[in-house]
Amino acid sequence: MKLLKKTNRAYFVTSALAFIIFGVLIYFFLSFIFEGQLNEKLLSDRMSVIRNINKDGSLQYFPPFIEVQKVPGQTERSVVFVDTLIFDVTEKENIPFRQISSVVAIKGQMYLIIVRDTLLEKGDLLMTIIIAIGVVFALLIISLYFINKRLSLILWKPFYNTLDNLKGFSQEKPDFILSAETEIDEFIELNKTLEKLTLKVISDYQSLKRFTEDASHEIQTPLAVIQSKLETLMQYPDLKKDQAELIKSAYSSVQRISKLTQTLLLLTKIANGQFPEKRSVNLSELLEEKIELFEDQINGKSLILKKEIEPDCILETNFILAESMVVNLVGNAAKHCITGGIISIRLDKNNLEISNSGVPFSVPPSKLFERFYKINSSSESQGLGLSIVKEICTLNGWKIDYLYEDNQHKFIVGF
Amino acid sequence: MKILIIEDEHELLATMKNYLESEEFLCETAISYFEAEDSLSAYNYDIIVLDLTLPGGNGLDLIKLIKDRNRQAGLLIVSAKNSIDDKITGLDMGADDYISKPFHLSELNSRIKSLARRRHFNGTNEVSFNEIKINTDSREVSVNGENIDLTKKEYEILLYFMVNRNKLITRESIAEHVWGNDISYADNFDFIYSQIKNLRKKIRQKNGRDYIHNMYGMGYKFSDR
Repeated sequence: MKLLKKTNRAYFVTSALAFIIFGVLIYFFLSFIFEGQLNEKLLSDRMSVIRNINKDGSLQYFPPFIEVQKVPGQTERSVVFVDTLIFDVTEKENIPFRQISSVVAIKGQMYLIIVRDTLLEKGDLLMTIIIAIGVVFALLIISLYFINKRLSLILWKPFYNTLDNLKGFSQEKPDFILSAETEIDEFIELNKTLEKLTLKVISDYQSLKRFTEDASHEIQTPLAVIQSKLETLMQYPDLKKDQAELIKSAYSSVQRISKLTQTLLLLTKIANGQFPEKRSVNLSELLEEKIELFEDQINGKSLILKKEIEPDCILETNFILAESMVVNLVGNAAKHCITGGIISIRLDKNNLEISNSGVPFSVPPSKLFERFYKINSSSESQGLGLSIVKEICTLNGWKIDYLYEDNQHKFIVGF
Repeated sequence: MKILIIEDEHELLATMKNYLESEEFLCETAISYFEAEDSLSAYNYDIIVLDLTLPGGNGLDLIKLIKDRNRQAGLLIVSAKNSIDDKITGLDMGADDYISKPFHLSELNSRIKSLARRRHFNGTNEVSFNEIKINTDSREVSVNGENIDLTKKEYEILLYFMVNRNKLITRESIAEHVWGNDISYADNFDFIYSQIKNLRKKIRQKNGRDYIHNMYGMGYKFSDR
């Protein structure tokens, strides 16, 4: 929900509540005053009736407002207030009245004096209050709405500026400046905090980047020494067979460590988003090129290669990552395909499908993408290839699926 | 041909020097930024091998110096960082080639010789070994004066053998040289074997001798001894 909508809703609810309470209070207060005045008027009317009787003995009679009767034999009774309904002949309806009645002794005679006045005005009063409050309420809400709208545009402008600036943030650009001018303390504080935060993100990212590079350097250099020493050792003439075996196994282990650190470094770099440069990559050409790379293995295992590659499938992505994904998928298929099996590779604008013949896995497919997971634990492979593919897909927002059908392991990348 | 190797790792520097000298290069070494600066100011070199991570300064700055003082020198950059940024910056600044650590000595040798050929330091673009001759410009291969038709991979393997003659070359280094780093996903090296089988057959057809010797199952040696 937008901030403006939320504040407007809060204003509406609270002012509606306030107006209802206010209206009820006003009603009771005004009707108290009104009734007081009415009662006073009735009492004063009664007094003037009594005065008239005293003066000349005349009995006023204006029903339903004033009724005076002689009631001989009754005893004196003080004033009684009653609310009553009286049928009006002209209006043909019952009209509420307030009456006071009393029996008074004047010059030895007993008189029943009833004085009434209509309560219609009290109903009008209620109506007036409701209408008045309603109108004020509507005016208030409408003006609040427009004031808020206008105000929030002005007040929140620095906030939206900050937001826009932040959207342009990338840890790859170390010279990021928030640069949102504002005079509002809260926003100044927000900007300061954000600036601190972004600086920290950038410096953390830079040091992480430096760390992975340094770590790789520190590992690769001694490896390079070992490898070059072993290669020098190999050159010695007349090596004995068992000496050569020792060198050979040490050498192949060095190769494995070296490849492993390179792969781990690649995974870290992908996860760190250190491959930001994107360009148009012709996946069709890349795929053909990499298939050729594995041609010898495919022929060596007498595999049948089925290709269905739509030409010029262009992806907007990082070239190194696209290359790495293709090599891993094609390489895996060539490596794991059973001898004499089928490799089929299909590419169109939306999907890349690579499958190879093989017996079904005994493990859930989700495990395939885990780091260092190997179907065959004695295998020399690193168990990192599919993790890399998965990382690359995640980074690019592509979908990767695995399924097993018709004796084929099939990997599908959806772009 | 005179080579300057700039490398801060003492042991690696010694091995590189040793290997390149056995290839009859004249090698000088520099172990720090300052030593490199001194050597570059005082002498001219045909080829400079530069490790980018040096104590005392950034290797990229040295590229500028090399381009100022030793304009004609071929420049091969070595980096352990395997960092794309360094590679691109280095090549942009005028480096001729890039190799990342750990590298095979035979690969280093092959890169240096390729650089030398491209710069025509020896006045020739021909690599020859007895009856086998390769013209690296036209990529033509002849045995006993008769041209033979090699596939791209066979050609690459033969050239790699011939520049690294009399040396044991490991299967791993052949795989990386010809197929690139990616081939580490292969679980065996049979694909190299089949390429070499074809290469031998084609050379034999023109009455060439078989110089390719299998060494302890570790690799091959191209030699007439």
